[in-house]
Amino acid sequence: MRLHIILRYIGVVLLLNAAFLLISAAISFFNGDSALFPLGYTGLISALFGVFPFIFVPSTEEITNKEGFTIVVSSWLLSCLIGMIPYVLWGGEFTVTNAWFESVSGFTTTGSSILTDIEALPKGLLFWRSATHWIGGVGIIIFVLSVLSSMGKVGMVLYRAEMSPLATANFRFRTTRTLQIIMFVYVGLTVLETMALMLCGMNLFDAITHSFATIATGGFSTKNLSIAYYGSAAVETVIMVFMVLSGINFGLLFVTLLGNMRALLRSTVVRFYLAALFAGVALTAFNIHGTVFSGWLVSLRYAAFQVISIGTSTGFATTDTTLWPPFSQLLILFFTLQCACSGSTSGGIKIDRSVLLWHAIKKRITKVEHPHAVVKAKIDMVAIDEDTLEASLLYIILYIGIVFVSSLIICGMGVDIMTAFSASAATMGNVGPGFGLVGSTGNFNHIPEMGKWILTGDMLLGRLEIFGLLLFFLLKKWK
Amino acid sequence: MRLRAKILSGFLILSAMLLVAGVWSIYELSTIGISVQKILDDNYRSVNAAKSMIEALEREDSGILLLLLGKREEGRTIIGSADESFRKAYETARSNITIPGEEEYVDEIMNTYDIYRNLWRQSVVGTAREGDLNWYLRDTHPAFLKAKLAAQRLMTLNDQTMYLTASNLESRAHRATMPGIIAVASAFIFAIIFSFLINLFVVNPIIKLTDGIQHYLDSGSPLEVRIETEDELSDLVSSVETLIARSKQ
Repeated sequence: MRLHIILRYIGVVLLLNAAFLLISAAISFFNGDSALFPLGYTGLISALFGVFPFIFVPSTEEITNKEGFTIVVSSWLLSCLIGMIPYVLWGGEFTVTNAWFESVSGFTTTGSSILTDIEALPKGLLFWRSATHWIGGVGIIIFVLSVLSSMGKVGMVLYRAEMSPLATANFRFRTTRTLQIIMFVYVGLTVLETMALMLCGMNLFDAITHSFATIATGGFSTKNLSIAYYGSAAVETVIMVFMVLSGINFGLLFVTLLGNMRALLRSTVVRFYLAALFAGVALTAFNIHGTVFSGWLVSLRYAAFQVISIGTSTGFATTDTTLWPPFSQLLILFFTLQCACSGSTSGGIKIDRSVLLWHAIKKRITKVEHPHAVVKAKIDMVAIDEDTLEASLLYIILYIGIVFVSSLIICGMGVDIMTAFSASAATMGNVGPGFGLVGSTGNFNHIPEMGKWILTGDMLLGRLEIFGLLLFFLLKKWK
Repeated sequence: MRLRAKILSGFLILSAMLLVAGVWSIYELSTIGISVQKILDDNYRSVNAAKSMIEALEREDSGILLLLLGKREEGRTIIGSADESFRKAYETARSNITIPGEEEYVDEIMNTYDIYRNLWRQSVVGTAREGDLNWYLRDTHPAFLKAKLAAQRLMTLNDQTMYLTASNLESRAHRATMPGIIAVASAFIFAIIFSFLINLFVVNPIIKLTDGIQHYLDSGSPLEVRIETEDELSDLVSSVETLIARSKQ
């Protein structure tokens, strides 16, 4: 493995981070706030570290899969490391552990926060916090590759290492074209949401930061009360629409935008996704009506926002769901585990795997009935090979296993079972809020220090789809 | 890029990291010094003035009690000197308004003091008020308490601001020390990367070239040294190749 080549491409990622850090520093400068130096200095360090390998290391035509993989995982880890420096430098509630937690939560688009008073943060730092969502949402490497489209074969290797295998199925284009489509949809949705939020009365800063957090399905708000601060049905509706859109495979969204609406509606995964959200909203509204809220409309409003927010792994809040009946809490926990479609910015197990699981169950039942029958699982008339099916089922088992183990460890630190389990599930699924002490209006500040490190591990495992991070630590064994 | 520029850029980057962090630490530390001075100038003087006003008011209250007991001379002397002290302290507070809303607090002191002052300016000894505790408890003592409360409120306001400024100083101290720590850690990592790249792109090619020349001298086989970069080292290799070619002719 050529370390210098890895350094060169990680340098590009650092330069991307530096650009956003310097934009945040500029906001601090114009706002005259105390985050100017923390952001500016980190931007400078990031830029210098990013530029230096370019000076020494000549470009290369090809990289190996192993190198590509190392570049991807290292880029995520280094971005999180660089991302925590402005927090540490600024101080306040940010200890080293808290800064790491906030940074990882930002880049992995989890949206869990350790902050008890978000509004005490200067604007520049608030912008950086949202920017980490936006950089991480589409995938750090995807972001870089779409900016630098001339990487040739290197780009292809990095693209394969970054993208989930499930996500690529919906992109039937060349790598460069796919990257262009992803970025077009990503930036387009962000711009559209910013404009829509401004039309609803939000100021430019809040509109941009909330759009970053919505399209990346992150969930960091600039307000202590999250979206509840605005108390506006229009704002909530706009955010709900864009949360739902951000949970759909970007390739399908692009095809729909080109006029092929049927592709979207005929997709089993999208239909399952929309049906699950619809059922979730209806059941929750029915359950909270009369117990939490007296009116049907108000029940529907809060149920829709919370279910969509969790079901797309965004994590914004308009109310305290820890006060909801156990049925609604369990329903939301189901969405915390499942989340939305692959190829979107969403986290969790993903609908695609749920659909595959459902088909695997159907296939098994048929095999029991007709032991000699040759049964093929099919989605959208396409046969699913055994490898994909097995990998998906293994992923689900491993995913739940990791959630269980981290819940167990956190419980062992004296945290109650609901808080421990929901915190583990919410961080593993990159959702954000859980239940118990880490509810939709709570925060993760009181989780023990070691617990925070475990939860950040969950966030990274969830974002890199488990195998990504695990393989990185087993690189030496690669042949 | 030439080798000289590459090495120079490494040192420049290292210097920039340390320089910026150093300058910022110095700036934050000097700001802490200014803030400490500001606390003393802005708040501590007002706190002292408020304390003096409270002390003067208490002396005036004692003077009124002496008047009630019929001790006119002693009472008037104490009240006169306390009034003078109060006015001096009040002027200090008036000239040191630095906190938003502080002016209203200062105005309130003078308003309540004027009411109190009008009461003790009246004749007491030899009038119906002498020995009249009801007059004291009904009129003068409540007015005294009101004036004292107004002065105490000014003191509390300045105390709170002092506490807040001191808390900010803690954050500033944090900001002054952290750049140093981050800069040292970054410089350390950078130095490792720098030496790795120097080793890879400078030392290794020299070793390769030396080995290549030695191999040529030992076996007479052609010099085969590939240098990835286009800098002084690649120039050196081609010069050696030219030298060998010429020596063969």
